[in-house]
Amino acid sequence: MRAFDYATASTVDDALKLARPGSAFLAGGTTLVDLMKLDVLTPDRVIDVNSLPLKGIRLHAGGLRIGALERMSDVAAHPVVRAVHPMISKALLLSASGQLRNMASIGGNLMQRTRCDYFRDVTSACNKRRPGSGCPALTGVNRGHAILGTSDSCVATHASDVAVAFVALGAQVVLRGKDGGRTVALEDFYLLPGSTPDRENVLGPGELIAEVVVPVLPWARHSTYLKIRDRQSYEFALTSVAAAVDVKRGVVQDVRLAAGGVGTKPWRLRAVEEALKGGVAVERTFADAAESAVDGARPLAHNAFKTSLLKRSIVRALLDAAGVR
Amino acid sequence: MIGQPVDRVDGRIKVTGAAPYAADTKIPGVAYGYLITSTIGKGSVTAMDTDAALASPGVLAVYTPFNPLKLFAYVQEQNDERFPPLQDREVRFFGQAIGFVVAETWEQARDAAGLVTATYQQQPPVTEFPGRTVRKFEEVEEVVGTQDLGDITFTASYTTPFQHHCAMEPHATVATWNGDHLTVYTVSQGALLVQRRLSETLGIDPAKIHVLSPHVGGGFGGKWGNWAQVPLACAAARALGRPVKAVLTREQVFAMAGHRPMTKQTLTMTCTADGKLTSIVNDGVTSRGLGGNWSESVANWTLTTYASPNIRVTKMIVPLNLGAATVMRAPGEANGSFALESAMDELAGQLGIDPVEMRLRNYATLVPNTGKPWSSKHLDECYRIGAEEFGWAKRPKKVRATVDGDWLVGTGMATATYGAGRGQASVKVRLHPDGTASVSGTAADLGTGQYTVFAILAADELGLPVSRVRPELGDSTSPAAANAGGSTSTGTNGPAVQLAAKAVQTELITLAVTNPRSPFHGKDPASVVYRDGSVSSGGVTMSFGTLLTTCDVGGVEAVGTSPRLVDPEHGYRSFGAHFCEVRVHRLTGEPRVTRWLSVCDAGTIVNAKAARSQIQGAVVMGIGQALLEATEVDHATGRFANANLASYLVPVHADIPKIDVRFLDRPDPLVSGLGAKGIGELGIVGVAGAIANAVHHATGVRVRDLPITLDKLL
Repeated sequence: MRAFDYATASTVDDALKLARPGSAFLAGGTTLVDLMKLDVLTPDRVIDVNSLPLKGIRLHAGGLRIGALERMSDVAAHPVVRAVHPMISKALLLSASGQLRNMASIGGNLMQRTRCDYFRDVTSACNKRRPGSGCPALTGVNRGHAILGTSDSCVATHASDVAVAFVALGAQVVLRGKDGGRTVALEDFYLLPGSTPDRENVLGPGELIAEVVVPVLPWARHSTYLKIRDRQSYEFALTSVAAAVDVKRGVVQDVRLAAGGVGTKPWRLRAVEEALKGGVAVERTFADAAESAVDGARPLAHNAFKTSLLKRSIVRALLDAAGVR
Repeated sequence: MIGQPVDRVDGRIKVTGAAPYAADTKIPGVAYGYLITSTIGKGSVTAMDTDAALASPGVLAVYTPFNPLKLFAYVQEQNDERFPPLQDREVRFFGQAIGFVVAETWEQARDAAGLVTATYQQQPPVTEFPGRTVRKFEEVEEVVGTQDLGDITFTASYTTPFQHHCAMEPHATVATWNGDHLTVYTVSQGALLVQRRLSETLGIDPAKIHVLSPHVGGGFGGKWGNWAQVPLACAAARALGRPVKAVLTREQVFAMAGHRPMTKQTLTMTCTADGKLTSIVNDGVTSRGLGGNWSESVANWTLTTYASPNIRVTKMIVPLNLGAATVMRAPGEANGSFALESAMDELAGQLGIDPVEMRLRNYATLVPNTGKPWSSKHLDECYRIGAEEFGWAKRPKKVRATVDGDWLVGTGMATATYGAGRGQASVKVRLHPDGTASVSGTAADLGTGQYTVFAILAADELGLPVSRVRPELGDSTSPAAANAGGSTSTGTNGPAVQLAAKAVQTELITLAVTNPRSPFHGKDPASVVYRDGSVSSGGVTMSFGTLLTTCDVGGVEAVGTSPRLVDPEHGYRSFGAHFCEVRVHRLTGEPRVTRWLSVCDAGTIVNAKAARSQIQGAVVMGIGQALLEATEVDHATGRFANANLASYLVPVHADIPKIDVRFLDRPDPLVSGLGAKGIGELGIVGVAGAIANAVHHATGVRVRDLPITLDKLL
């Protein structure tokens, strides 16, 4: 860890004024401080934003609004969240550990960095950390890496669970910057790595996430968040699937699907959704529709199983969400 | 009292944070050391630029191979580092210590370490099988009979990956000198191991080295050895004239503080149509890290487990550019049993014989490789009780026969055996005027329960409640007791505790009849009786505390020494049988262990509660070995790629079912008067095999490469 300035802000404007190139916003610190200890992140100024008025969980006409500084555990336990979008609560509770969820903020969760072990080791090359230095994961240890949205520069997965649920539900993020605010679909907030994997999202310099807005879909209470991993807790996903499905008289009316652990960003599965609509809600339909989930997948030496696992996870999640046996 | 369930005597201070661990040691004026490690896997350091680090705030010294602290070569080949750090410029593995920064604060030392740059002459590291430098048939052991080999032949290969101990407590050492006397607070599985190693490399009399390691936050073999931070902290403290503290980071622990080597076993077995083995050949291959000396005798478990007229085991060693391979959680036996227990299950399946019956048909009533009798063996009873309690008879013969919802259900079993014996140990018992007794030896408690074993055995012998006995471990000035390794602590130290507690009674009686202030003064010692903490004679009874107070004596003590067991006529092992149920999801393939029973024949059980915990803990580690644990190497650099506790997976609570443990509790008549054979590592042996067998029963898929992860079951 390198020496750094520490500043606190109590208004969003103050925080934005304190921001400068090389500074970082500190909320729960569960990613930032970790990566500072590893020398992966070396901000020269850390701006503590915990006092900003970016809290609150409210149901508005526009949707479920979650302040960026709400803690993961508070959001997971919130009765409105549990009632309106239980998938969000489930995705949060399957993340990290109780201690981390008590600290980590929703905004910080969306901003968390990849768990690629090459990114996290400063002795390794990494195009995300040191642009142009190369990607050892392409030929190295890559069992946990992405099969979708990858490039020759980067195959790191996005690590968030709740972002997968948000993307499935079509959530938007409200951003605040020196030039005012803007609202971006979370799916578009994240960038594919392409040749610039160091650019992970559309945030401009000094911009921050103020709020997440999730549309209300009454039928989306029939949902699940399935997380597949080697051990049963405290591990990032090999694959995860956020699924909400509206079944009437045995036929799929509408569906929302997104996957985690397989993409370089939270991966909305639109082709699968389209294939499901109007289909009979049985396992066979789900399995046939899931085939298109891996279109364009680029498996690596150790993660080829993820193409099969993703399809199987989709089927399992749909069976759970639809209550079909 | 022996065999009752007794709470850990050190439990309260551990859960309240009062137990002092090495890194907690606070010494005024302490300086902090931070290791600089190599960022290549093989080659040499040609230059190091330390100017910026030396100019950095608070920095006291930067030691490198170009400006080393003098350390003498290690004399004994132990299972830790082969070379003392910084004494040459060769890089043998990624993460090798190539520098040591000492500063006023830990943060300053770490910051300065980041400013040091090293220039290397680099070579490609060799980090996987087959290395080009395989030394063939390093060791061969075989038994050759004359019997016909039968008709059935089975052959298969089994592999196990690198693994790491992952003790919660990282390796920490605090060194302080007083003149030419060194005091070291450090993590260790045996204070005398540290003393001996430091005497060699620092070039000083061991009598001038005082090692304190009272509490150890898990060892599992990884703290048997002394790693780079130990000599560096001591030598830097001497050079700087200040106490120095050094703690390895988690990543440094992975790189340099020992790992379980990678292994491959190829088993070829022949048997008759009714399943009687006629030959077993196990060709074992094991890696040896070039940072160390040690390699694992992975095939040797095959020598002592099942009866067969022909047994041949071989061992090939592949040197790799890695830190030292070292002992970890039943070295050799945990991996060795995975292969043989899987193969027995496969062969039984091929012949249509029940797996328990298969093992009974090949039951070794004599030690298979020597033909000698066992000191005691009740393994057949373990099988019988285990099968009955587990409901083995209801097990479907076919694989993939049981489905519960979306889960495929299977059951499996395996044999456990682990070496037993008794080394030499000395222990001191002292009676104090306050009515308490202390019992001390250099032994270590890594969380194993050794403190409580000392307390129970002394309390039992002295007729005192456990609460009045104070065990004192981990101090090199105590009498030389067994180090914590090879599951021998209780079997070796226990008899010495009993001898010392008996001997101190004689000392007390001698005091009673010779001290003029004693009410027993002048009596015939034969007429004086010690019982339950009191001395009696002629109708007068006095507690030892009152007697010592009356006599104005500060205490009486005695050392008991139990000799090493030398018995060339018998084989000594502990035995057990594991039974488990595993569920595998039909779609996504996750294997989950859902039921467990272990039945153990480990001789006398001293503390029923801690013994149960020992087996349960070992089964948890076995579940980790079977399903989760593997350290991956980035072959381009030689770096352990998942050297952190998020990416190297050990089981969490949710992975562990209720673990049922039964002990036969039959004293071994030959190992010692106490009859305890040792249980620490027994519990992990066979676990991976039992799980692999249950996974096969559930799914029909045989996984021969650990860990059994879901990708192998899709």
